[in-house]
Order: sequence, then structure tokens, then C-alpha cells
Amino acid sequence: MPDFDYSLLLSGQYHDMLLSGLMLSIKLACVTLVCSLPLALFIALLRLSPVRPLQWLGFAYVESIRNIPLLAHMLFWYFAAPEFLPESLREWLYAGNIEAISAIVALTLYTAAFMSEDIRSGIRAIPIVQLEAGRALGFGYLESMRLVVLPQALRVTIAPLISQTLNLWKNTSIATVVGVAELMYQAGQVETATFRSLESFAFATSAYLSVSLLITGAAAWYQHRYVQAKSR
Amino acid sequence: MRISLLSSAVAVALSLVSAGVFADVAAIKNKGEIVIGTLGTDEPNSFVDPKTRQIIGYEIDLGNEIAKDLGVKPVYKQIAVAARIPELQQGRVDLLAASLTHNKEREALVDFSNSVLITGQKALVKKSSGVTALDQLAGEKILTVKGGTQEPNILKALPTAKVVTFDTSQQALLALQQGKGKAFVDDESALTNDYAKIGAAAKGYAILPENLSTEALALAVRKDSGDLKVAVDKTLARLESSGEAEKLYLKWYGPGTKSNQAERHFKIDSDQVE
Repeated sequence: MPDFDYSLLLSGQYHDMLLSGLMLSIKLACVTLVCSLPLALFIALLRLSPVRPLQWLGFAYVESIRNIPLLAHMLFWYFAAPEFLPESLREWLYAGNIEAISAIVALTLYTAAFMSEDIRSGIRAIPIVQLEAGRALGFGYLESMRLVVLPQALRVTIAPLISQTLNLWKNTSIATVVGVAELMYQAGQVETATFRSLESFAFATSAYLSVSLLITGAAAWYQHRYVQAKSR
Repeated sequence: MRISLLSSAVAVALSLVSAGVFADVAAIKNKGEIVIGTLGTDEPNSFVDPKTRQIIGYEIDLGNEIAKDLGVKPVYKQIAVAARIPELQQGRVDLLAASLTHNKEREALVDFSNSVLITGQKALVKKSSGVTALDQLAGEKILTVKGGTQEPNILKALPTAKVVTFDTSQQALLALQQGKGKAFVDDESALTNDYAKIGAAAKGYAILPENLSTEALALAVRKDSGDLKVAVDKTLARLESSGEAEKLYLKWYGPGTKSNQAERHFKIDSDQVE
């Protein structure tokens, strides 16, 4: 058993590097979650809309995004996509934190594709008569959706959405390929500097695991507190 | 039979030891030859000329000059990378001209001559960025490769720089071309190679002359070899002051060679390393 240097992880410059990586990973996940939820809902509604071209649009989005690996998305949004922008906008972007912005765009689009499918199945799980009842009461399509169907649908969607959030949390690690200094990147840097592979990746592993378990715990608590109580 | 075998072994051992003890300038002049250990496999420092089957190269030319000044014949002995310092310490060669990096750890084992080749990590920039010196990169975004010594060296030279690293040097170079950073840092040889690959667009790029970090190659002699180091440094100083050292560098590393360096950014004048 090689000796395990805890001091590396508990204090000093390498501890700070790993911690800043963890914070950035959490930020990436939070910003992506906030951006991708509304987008996912929008895509789900597109796919369920009575208008055919909108359905096709939603279908095309989901299938084109979720069938390409996230790594390819990440490289595309960093290396290729910004090159199509007008020069002044591009230079403004490149002067800022283009790495993190590209990563957030790629993660948001990717996560939204998966989440929209979960939301869509949640909506379809609500009997169609609920929508019809709303329409019968004189509400329009969007209003019946908003007031009658979605509140019930989102409640049953929580469990799969939590699962997608876990995926999102782990997927933030892919951002390392475009030079975002998140947890996996910093673990690699610490490994390069200290040759302490075991320590740095043990830190990354336990950090990913802890945050994942926290998300799972929050989900279990939510289910217990709200969903079961309501359905009783 | 057994005894004669034993005694011949002892004789060989003795001759080795004696060769090891008397390897200063007087002993070399006495022998009429200087044995120079070289790699013979490291173009352009020392390698076998495919036409003549002779070992040629930058270090070979330097060795010839040293032998000439001592008035002896140079004898080149090809040795393996890992065997360089042991061969020298055991007295099988008098001088190492074998792409040997001068570093602090090795100073305890051998004596180094003045550095004969200084390479390092350099920065490639876009000419349009107006950057002409390293210190203009302070606080800027600098691109490089993961896993090597590049990043620590950048931060040592430019503590305020924002370093972004990529899995491959191609990605880092692409990011520079797209304007995602001010400079791309890599080993000088790799950088020259990449520079050549950019093709016609290379006109818009420049490699900054200063090194972010340096690696010095030097010749080496044994710790007990007396005035041999002095003699070697004297020859190197002569080559430097007469301009022959510059010519030799350009002959092996200059324009038109595989290394294709436009000019020499160092002088053979110091046996100190950082």
C-alpha cells in the first residue's frame, strides 16, 4: 500500500487548487441546471404541441443533441461555434472566460435534451381528460397546461429529473477538455505538479460522490415530504 | 590456464584503473588521443552520416576542435544514454559530448564545461497582438499542453498569467489561432515544428526570443580530470570569440536544417545553470 499523504489534501496550495476546482464544478452545475430546466420544459411543450412543425422542431432538437457524445458537443462549442460569430462579438467573448461559457452552453443544451424527454413523459402520464377538463372549463391550451397539467406532471417528473441532475453533475468533468479549471482539471494539475495521483483523484472522487449523495438525499427528502403526502 | 586467465583479467582491470587515474591534459597528450563518448543517435548533435557511415554532428565538430587545440587525435566512442556518466566515471572515455543536460543533480557526479547548447520553452504569439517580449504577457491568457513542465514554468516566469491547458498541443495551437489566448507555450523544438506546419499563415506569427525556462547541454569531464575542463572551456571560448561557434550552430541547427532555427539566442560563455 503506497503511503497516502493527507496533508496535501487538508491544507496548502494543492488543497486550495482542488477546492477552487470543486467550487467551479458546483457553479457550472448550478448555472447549467437553472438554464436547462426552462429550456427542457419549452422543448417538451414543443414536442407535445398540436402544431406539426413545432413537434418536428422539438423532435429534431432532442434527437440531434442526445445522439452525439457530450465530448463532441464541448469541443464544438469551444473551438467551432464561436468562429461563426461576428468579429467584434467574438473578440469580446474571447477576452472573457470563453472556456466556462462554452462549457455551460454545451452542458445546457445537452442536459435539456434529456430533461425534456423526462418532462414529456411526465406530462403524458397525466390522463388526457385532465387537459380536456381544463379546455371544457374555458381555458386555452397553454392555460390548461399551466394550471392543470404541469403542476401534476412536474411532481411525477421530479425523480427522473434528479437522476438527470446527477448526470449533469458528473458531466461537468468533461469541461476539462476545453481548459475549464473545474475539479477534474485541478486534480490533473495537482497530479502533474506533485506526482500524487492517488491523493488528487481520491479527493476528486470523494467530492463527486459526496455532492451526488447530497443531491440524492435531497431528492429522497422531497419525495417523502411532498409527493407521498399529496398522493395519500 | 586458470591462472593466466586470472592474471590477464587483473591486467585489464589495472589498465582500466590507470586510464581512469591519469586522464588530465598531460596524460591525454601522452596517449596522443582523446576518447570522446558520444551518442551517435541524436541528430543533429551526433549521428551517423548515412553516406560515409561516420559519426558527424554539432558535438562532433566541437570535439574535433578540442582535440585540435590539444594536439591529439579524437577517438569517438558510441555509448548509450544511461551509460554516459558511468562510462566517464570509470575512465573509459575522457570527455562526454553526448547531448548531456547540465543539471544540479549531475554536478555532484561530473564537471561540466560551459554550456554548448541552450534550448528552452518559448512562446508563440500572433504578430497582430503586438507582443514582442515575455513581460508583455503578464496577466494575459496563455495556452499550453497538460501534463508537462510547461505550466509550472509559465507560472514561474509570469506569476500573474492565466494559464489554460489542453490535452494536445494541436488544440492549444488552434486556440491561439482563434485568438482565445495571447500566447502558446511549448518546447522550442516542438514550437518550431508547429510553426512550420501552420504553413503560409506562419507569417502572421512570431516566436518570442526569450526562454521561459532553459535546458542547457554541456560537455562533461571527470571530477578528477584536473586541467582538462580548463582546456575544454578555452577551446569553447576561442570558438565563441572567433564566431566559429555561431557558424557551427547555424550549420547544424540553422535555416535549412531539420531544426530550422533562424538565429542563435545564446552564447557559449557560462558553466552555470539555474
